[in-house]
This record gives sequence, C-alpha cells and structure tokens, in this order.
Amino acid sequence: MSQKTIFSERRPEVPTAGNRLVKSVKKDFAGWGFIGPFMLIYLVFLVWPILQAIGLGFFKIDLLVITDRTFIGLQNYFRMFWGENMEWTLGNMWEWRIAGLLLLIPVFRGWRSKTLSTLESVVYSASLVVIFAGVMGLAPGDGGRWNDSLFWLSFGNTVLFVLLSTPVIVGVGLLLAMALNRPGRWTGVLRTVFFAPYVLSVSVLTLIWAFLLNPQLGLIGTFLEFIGLEPISFLTSPTLAMPAIVIATLWWTVGFNVVLYLAGLQDIDKSLYEAAEIDGASFWQRFRDVTWPGLRRTTLLVMVLQIIASFQIFGQVFIMTRGGPNGATRVSIQHIYESAFRDFNLGYASAMSVFLFLVMIVFSVLQFRFSRDET
Amino acid sequence: MSQTAVKATPRLLKPKVKQTLFLSLLSVFAAIWILPLIWMFSLAFSSNEALQISTNSLTPVDPTAENLIAVIQGGMTPRWMLNSVIVTGFTTLSTLILSAMAGYAFARIPFRGKKIVYPLVLAGLMVPREAMFIPLFLMFAEADYHNTYEALMLPRIAAPLGVFIMTQFMAAIPMEIEEASRVDGASRWRTFWSVMVPMSVPAMTALGIFTYILTWNDFLWPLVSATQREMFTITTGLASLQGNFAQATELGSLMARGVIASLPLLILFFIFQKQLVRGISIGSGGK
Repeated sequence: MSQKTIFSERRPEVPTAGNRLVKSVKKDFAGWGFIGPFMLIYLVFLVWPILQAIGLGFFKIDLLVITDRTFIGLQNYFRMFWGENMEWTLGNMWEWRIAGLLLLIPVFRGWRSKTLSTLESVVYSASLVVIFAGVMGLAPGDGGRWNDSLFWLSFGNTVLFVLLSTPVIVGVGLLLAMALNRPGRWTGVLRTVFFAPYVLSVSVLTLIWAFLLNPQLGLIGTFLEFIGLEPISFLTSPTLAMPAIVIATLWWTVGFNVVLYLAGLQDIDKSLYEAAEIDGASFWQRFRDVTWPGLRRTTLLVMVLQIIASFQIFGQVFIMTRGGPNGATRVSIQHIYESAFRDFNLGYASAMSVFLFLVMIVFSVLQFRFSRDET
Repeated sequence: MSQTAVKATPRLLKPKVKQTLFLSLLSVFAAIWILPLIWMFSLAFSSNEALQISTNSLTPVDPTAENLIAVIQGGMTPRWMLNSVIVTGFTTLSTLILSAMAGYAFARIPFRGKKIVYPLVLAGLMVPREAMFIPLFLMFAEADYHNTYEALMLPRIAAPLGVFIMTQFMAAIPMEIEEASRVDGASRWRTFWSVMVPMSVPAMTALGIFTYILTWNDFLWPLVSATQREMFTITTGLASLQGNFAQATELGSLMARGVIASLPLLILFFIFQKQLVRGISIGSGGK
C-alpha cells in the first residue's frame, strides 16, 4: 500500500494527457508573461498609431481643438493628388516615366533568376505600369494648378535627395570599405576616423556644416579664396543648396555603409582572390569578377537602407535652410510637420504621412527580403 | 636560379611601396575627413575676441575654456543634457530588458500564439517611424502627456529591432546550458536572469550602444513632443539655437555647446566601437 503511494507520487513523470495540458498551459503562461510588457508598448505605440493614421486621414482636425473632428471623406487625398484643369497627357514628365518603366527590366530579371516569385513579379510590374505609364501622366493643364503644389514640390525634392544621395553615399561607402579592408593598426585608426561622424546628432552636424559652408566664416569659403576663387554661399543658392546637403549627409552617415560593406568584404572567399592573382587579373578585373558579384547581397541591402534613410530626411534641411532658398530644399517630412504645426491641419498631415508611409514601405519590404535571402 | 631571384626582388618590394603610398594617401584623406570635427573643438576653445577676427584656425586661438565653462554654468544647456541623459538612459535600459525578455520567450518557450505574434513583431521592422509622428502626436495630445519624459521614451521603446536581435541571439545559445539550470529546479524567471541574460551580454552590449546613440540623436519626435524649453533634449535644444547666426559673436559659445552635446557620444564610441559596429551589422540584417 505504502509502496503504491510512492509509485503514484512518481507517476507525474510519465506524460499523460492532463499532465501535458498543464505543462502547455504553463508554457503559454510563461511565454505570454515574457513577451507581455514589450507587446503592450508595441501595440499601443507602434501598431495603433499606424491604424490611427489611416483613419485620421479622412478627418479635418484642427491642432488647437484636437477633439473636434469632422469627417470629410477623401478630401485630404483630393487636396494632395488633384488640382484645377487636370489633364492626362502622354508627354507629362516623360523622361521620369520612361526611367520608371525601365525598372521593369530588373523585375523581369529577378523573375527569371527566381529571386522574385511569379506573383511578386506580376504585382511589381503591374504597379510600375499603372504608376509610370498611367497615373504620372496626370497634371494640371493650361491655366490649372495643383491643389497643394508645395506637396509635390517637397515630394519632388525628397525624391531628388534620394536620387542624389543614394549613389554618392553608397559608392563612397564601397570605395572606403575596399580601401580600409586590410589588416593593421593604422587602418583601424582610419576606420575610426571615417566612422566617428556617424555618432554625432543631427544638430551637431548642422552646427558644424552651416558654418563650414558659410562664405565668410567657413573653412570652405577660405579654401576657395586661397585657391583664387570667389567664396560661394552654398546654402542660399537654389542649385547648390541640395548638393551641399548631400555632401554634409555623406560626411555624417557614410560610416554606416562602410561598416556593412566591410562585413560583406570579409565574407568573400579569399581563395577567389588568390586564384585571380595567379591568373594575373588586374585590379579592375578582380573587382569586376570577384568583389562586385560577391557583394551583390550587401549592395542591395545598403542601397535599400540608404533609400529608406534618405526618404526620411528632415533635420539637416530643417535646421540649415528651413527648406529654402525659395523651397529648393523643402522635403516631405517638413511639409507634413508644417501642415500640422504651422497650419494646424492634422488631418491633412495624417493623409500625407500615409502617402509617405506607402512609398517607403515598398523599399522596407525589399530590405526585408534582401536581408533574409541567402546569396 | 639567379634569374628568378632578380625577378622576385622587385615583385616583393613593389607591393610594399605601393601599400605605403596608398596608406599615406588614405591618411591624408582621413585627415581632411576629420577636419570639421577638429574645427568645432578648436573654435569651442578659442576666445570670443579672437573669433571676431578669424574663424579659420584649426588650433584654438588664444586658448581658453571660458566658453565651455560659461555653457556648463548657465543657460539651458545643463538642463537639456540632463533631459537627454534621463531619456536616453531609461530608454536604453527598458529596451534591453523588454527585448531580452521577449527574445527569450520567442527563442525558447513554445507557447500558443507565437507563430502569429512573432511575424507581427517582425513586420514592425518595416515601419518607417518618421512617417508616423502625426498619429503619435495626437495620441499623446489627447492624453495630455506631451512635455514629459514618458512621451519622449515610449515610442522609441516600442521599436521591435531589439526583440529581433535578442531572439536571434538567444536561439543560438546551446539548449543544454538552459536545461542544466532548469533541471536544478530553477524557475524560468530565474533561468532567464541567471543564465540567459549573462550569456547574452555581447548581443545586449551591441543593442544597448546602438539604442543609446539612436535615442540621444532622435530629433523629429522630441521636436514635436517636447515643446517647452525646459523639456528640450540637447539635440533639439542645440537646434533651437541655430536659427540666425550671421555673426561670429556667438560662435565660440555655440561650438562649445556642440562639443558638450557630442562628447558623451564620442567617448562612448571610442570605448564601444566594436560593439557598435556589431550592432549595426546585426541590426540591419547584414548578419
């Protein structure tokens, strides 16, 4: 009898149905307990605001009386995307639209090399055709105008910044990484030098560069005078302000790309270089046949990350030029910020946020794919 | 035989000369790269009278720490630094604890709902935060919670990057180590703190330093949320002083503020450079 009780006390070691249930409920409890605190904050401060933004875009909300909301349907979007005397023409912005349609080539190649699934390729191609062949043909005709031309001006400037900064910051990042990819103490010091500006905040960056670019006070103006040129007032020039901001941003953030490229270079099989050396390959041949293909995945990732970061440009222009001269450096986030906090129109700002969100999510999805794909 | 020797000598020498030449060139370029930073430091340590005459020196003119001392002793800068330290410190700490906890559960506990929740968290990696500040602003405005430390911290803590990093790292810790502790009768909570967290120190250092720098440098959200001067962070505070600087009168003092704002980060960077670099590589999906 007593022996039996001992046995039955040991019984729980043997899994039974009820026992398993208790164990799995315990695991559920532990699992949810551990993720609970994070999930709560995540849902409230990240997921909920996204859903809110979509909803708020259909309202008119005044910053001064935020609880007073009027449902106005698609009017915010109408204001963004429409204007007077809208016309569809084949010739509107045709250079950009042809360039956009050329993106069908990488999609097709991605599909053929099975990087993209058929469904993805169809969705991407269809979107490209709809946007570039279709929608972008719309513009205000004679005597017409956009409802909010500043929206398009700032979006255009943002795209311009993305197009200028991405090749420059990615390209210089690659060159620096290749130059710094060698052992030795001194190279370590040099890496530190090129990376250091990355840890500065945007307001320190602007503090340094606004003065650096100042024609009277800055080093660059002095240097230009020294070599016998007129000092240039970069930040007040409509054509040079944006390139100047690209250069400042290059100085600030190129270290990030160098880090990713250095990691990518480390992953390339050293024996490939040795084989190339034995074959007597020149520097250019080694780059073309070993380095560049070996960095394919890294390059895709760095480019997409750079595009996402560039779309979010705000601090540099907001502090250094306030979007000037004459709107030449006004960017999307600044337009959203000012629509909300200067013009008190939070609903419209929400609608524009949704638009920017959708544009950027395309690239984020690509990043997500490249960072998880092997090869 | 002698022929090969003759041939070999220049081959051995040439790369070395080339290497030295290349490194010198790169060093010159690096020196130019670091000039703007050196310039900021030298202006900060120059006297204001000297700066009236020339602002082009790369070494302090008439060296003095008066600007630095004046900035530390008066004005809003000390308060802004304090705000930044508090906000950044708590954000980093909370991110580390919450991410490690969630990462542990996602990596090690087979609970129901995980297959739905984890992808939901990963999807959050794709959300461009800068495009979402309007709804966040409204949320905090409705709760009348702007100009508080919580408002500055919570949206940053909600970022899912840390959870992703910690899940990856903890999944790679050998199962036996955790099981040994569980067999000894330790609860999950104890196992987590006494085994998993110590094992994850490398990942947590990388995540911590990365979070610290990003939070310290946050600009848009503090600009929107903290509108009272005494709630500015050093990043937004410094920006608020840069409106109109046509003359050099304030230059030394401004640069001194820049130095103070960047010193904590530069020092941290020099100590933890390796971890930061690691954080960037893991954090962006580069591995």
